[in-house]
Amino acid sequence: MDFFNRFAVPHPSFLIYGAMVSIAIAMIAVVVGITYFKKWGYLWREWLTTVDHKRIGIMYLIVALLMLFRGGVDAIMMRYQLSMPDNTFLDSQHYNEVFTTHGIVMILFMAMPFITFFFNYLIPLQIGARDVAFPRLNALSFWLFFMGAMLFNMSFVVGGSPDSGWTSYFPLAGNEFSTSVGTNYYMIAIQIAGMGTLMTGINFITTILKMRAPGMKLMKMPMFTWSAFIANVIVVFAFPVLTVLLAMGTMDRLFGTNFFTTDNGGMDMLWANLFWVWGHPEVYILILPAFGLYSEIISTFARRNLYGYKSMVASMVVISIFSFLVWAHHFFTMGQGPLTNSIFSITTMAIAVPTGVKIFNWLFTLWKGKIVFTTPMLYSILFIPLFTLGGVTGVMLAMSAADYQYHNTMFLVAHFHNVIIPGVVYAMIAGLTFYWPKMFGFMLNEKLGKWTAWLLSVGFVLAFIPMYITGLDGQARRMYTYSESTGFSTLNMVSFIGAAIMAVAFALLVYNIYYSIRYASRDIGSDPWDARSLEWATHTPVPEYNFAIIPEVASTEAFWDSKKKGHELFKGKIEKIHMPNNSPLPFIMSCIFFVFGFSMVFSIWPVAIIALIGILACLTYRSFEKDHGRYISVEEIEETEAKLRGAKK
Amino acid sequence: MKVDNSLPLEYSTEENSLKILGFWIFLGAEIMLFATLFTAYFTLENRIGNGPSGAEIFEISPVLVETILLLTSSFVIGLGIHAMRLGNKKAMMIFFSITLLLGAGFLGFEIYEFIHYVHVGATLQTSAFTAILLTTLGTHGLHVTFGLVWGLFILIQIKKRGLTPETANKSFIFSLYWHFLDIIWIFIFSFIYLKGMM
Amino acid sequence: MKELFPLKQVMGFVFSLVLTAVALIAYFTDMSFSLGMTILLLTAFIQAGLQIVVFMHAGETNDKKSIYTNIYYGVLIALITIFGTLLVMVWDM
Repeated sequence: MDFFNRFAVPHPSFLIYGAMVSIAIAMIAVVVGITYFKKWGYLWREWLTTVDHKRIGIMYLIVALLMLFRGGVDAIMMRYQLSMPDNTFLDSQHYNEVFTTHGIVMILFMAMPFITFFFNYLIPLQIGARDVAFPRLNALSFWLFFMGAMLFNMSFVVGGSPDSGWTSYFPLAGNEFSTSVGTNYYMIAIQIAGMGTLMTGINFITTILKMRAPGMKLMKMPMFTWSAFIANVIVVFAFPVLTVLLAMGTMDRLFGTNFFTTDNGGMDMLWANLFWVWGHPEVYILILPAFGLYSEIISTFARRNLYGYKSMVASMVVISIFSFLVWAHHFFTMGQGPLTNSIFSITTMAIAVPTGVKIFNWLFTLWKGKIVFTTPMLYSILFIPLFTLGGVTGVMLAMSAADYQYHNTMFLVAHFHNVIIPGVVYAMIAGLTFYWPKMFGFMLNEKLGKWTAWLLSVGFVLAFIPMYITGLDGQARRMYTYSESTGFSTLNMVSFIGAAIMAVAFALLVYNIYYSIRYASRDIGSDPWDARSLEWATHTPVPEYNFAIIPEVASTEAFWDSKKKGHELFKGKIEKIHMPNNSPLPFIMSCIFFVFGFSMVFSIWPVAIIALIGILACLTYRSFEKDHGRYISVEEIEETEAKLRGAKK
Repeated sequence: MKVDNSLPLEYSTEENSLKILGFWIFLGAEIMLFATLFTAYFTLENRIGNGPSGAEIFEISPVLVETILLLTSSFVIGLGIHAMRLGNKKAMMIFFSITLLLGAGFLGFEIYEFIHYVHVGATLQTSAFTAILLTTLGTHGLHVTFGLVWGLFILIQIKKRGLTPETANKSFIFSLYWHFLDIIWIFIFSFIYLKGMM
Repeated sequence: MKELFPLKQVMGFVFSLVLTAVALIAYFTDMSFSLGMTILLLTAFIQAGLQIVVFMHAGETNDKKSIYTNIYYGVLIALITIFGTLLVMVWDM
């Protein structure tokens, strides 16, 4: 029995028991459902073993939406806890766990897969390729990420959640102050997911560099592809830092090393330093693809070419270097001297310049454009002022002397939500609405979509603007309650109301999906928005080989110019197409990784060693495997094409 | 599969040249991996707690032997790739085998070195300095160990399947990996050992 | 037999042995820390460059530009990380 005690949650409450029951019920329902509808074979053949970038993309999307729900529930719980002084809904320990998991889930398991979904689905289509450079590796990336996410979420019901903040600063995260296995979950689950992300980065850089359609020079790529390229460059050079950091943290917790302890020479501040060496570029990994999506949407619905293409690209290249030069602004108060703080203050203010360039470019694109107010466009228009507000408060925080006043207050919390929600979340929903017809062959309801956008924005303003004020008045972040005499209660209640409105907006988004599945027209063709780049040039639904004939590109706005100026995209005739085979190996290997991670979290060494051998066996099998892919014959392609053309009319 | 005969075998298909570029980008990530270890090493170098310092435990002779072994193996695998391009399968396999033997020799000396450290009281748990020293060296050593097994697999495949675009591509990528490990070792040799003993 | 030992690679090997020997001067002779570090930095980076160009054939294909950009970018970020961290954690703490 002793053995099993370690799996118990150390600080249970009715919420956790409720979660256990609901997770168990949901899992049983899924298994029964799949068995009842006899879908196991379909699931295995078409999804679990797939190497198709479109399907992998959709799986990323599903995980991102699930995690958005989980992180959102965390957020509502926090806002409710703080809505009244001396509230007892959550105690301090649960509040710590909730803000920790909210941060990690939203950044690493919601925003990251959401942008990776766009990478996967869009990049090969935008550059006119048939798949990514390494389809098998792509599947492995997804499954490693998925298993990392699942392992992390398991902490809630098995062994206890991490509770030392999403930054997990030492010495708080060390064995002395974090005694449960929660922080082990943090170290190992993020490590596994992070490996997947690193592989994604390598894969997409190679794809973009080598697999563009003929004629598509680097400076003729669509802006989303450019932003994704830069983001993946940052991934490749930032994520190894996280890998090393998490390994060091794991060793401190499991093997008794002294990297971040406070004795035997250990240096706890090194954790904070290296964490932000990764953490700040990570912010740009999230925001750049979002900028790319806005660029696509704004130029589509302003019916104009994007203003300042070259300056857009240049600003992103500058950001890719500067994002590695600003990390110390996350800990101005840690005790380094004024010289360091001044340097990092200046670099931080400087990085606002390329971002400002992009804002002006969007404004100039809108200028004299024939603006069509669709839902994606509405999000983009709402994004510009709200995001600028967040950017300006960021420059306030960049001033190291003034930062002593704001540091670790709700002002900071307001700032980063103010950039991430209008910056990233709006872009994700706007992009999802924009590309929904490409993926599923029908549009989301416009009226409901606009209601969602407005509700989300009203909720956002009510939820986060009050935090700027309470923060300046001295409300610290990560405090689970406050007394009435502080005078924070009214504004915190406003904030809770705003959060509730945002929750309604997300519910409306889900309803919109349901409504549109039932009632939306299926007869929309393959280019319902009158859009500009290559992804709209192929059929809807996209055939597995993407393009029967590889397009030839002559300008930046390839598809637009083919429609308006009569450039011919598809020259030549259909030839047989080489495609990669499906493989169960990525899925199996990631399952073994899950077992490995779980046994590491609980220090069950024999199982960990067996799992490690299993992983090596998978690699060995892969080394000796002969897999030359398969060919789709010309007749088969012609048949598919005829059918799709018929469906399109 | 389209094979372009004007190029060396390892580049001859589209897929092959994708793999080579992809591996270069992976090496970019590896640069950052080791850079982070070096960052931590330089930060913690003088934080020795109650344990020994670098100058007290480093010994020049095994380090020098390791350096020569790895440097030579890097040269030999270069010859192996050259032989592969000449289409000389036998010479290539000999060069690859010598590379792996030299690598195994390197690993042997490194294990001896680790035993020595533990013997003089510089274990993983002693101090921040010993922990980061052993982690940095250990990460490089693990890479070499992984490389030995990987190289062996490639040798077996070449023996069985001959020099095909696929095996040539694998061999070339393996040689990139091996040279890269040598580069990392040069930095370890210069900035951990020599700097520590200076 | 001779064709198996191309001059370029043999010279590269000899040169890297020489560089190793030069680096050892920093250990065997009594010199100031800054001079020693200068020698080590020079020998290490020259030797790394040698490996990349002579042995790793970085410049032989159309991907030359991508490969060199990749390396330069990696080295730049690596140096920023190392020296930036030293500034924050050691020199100015």
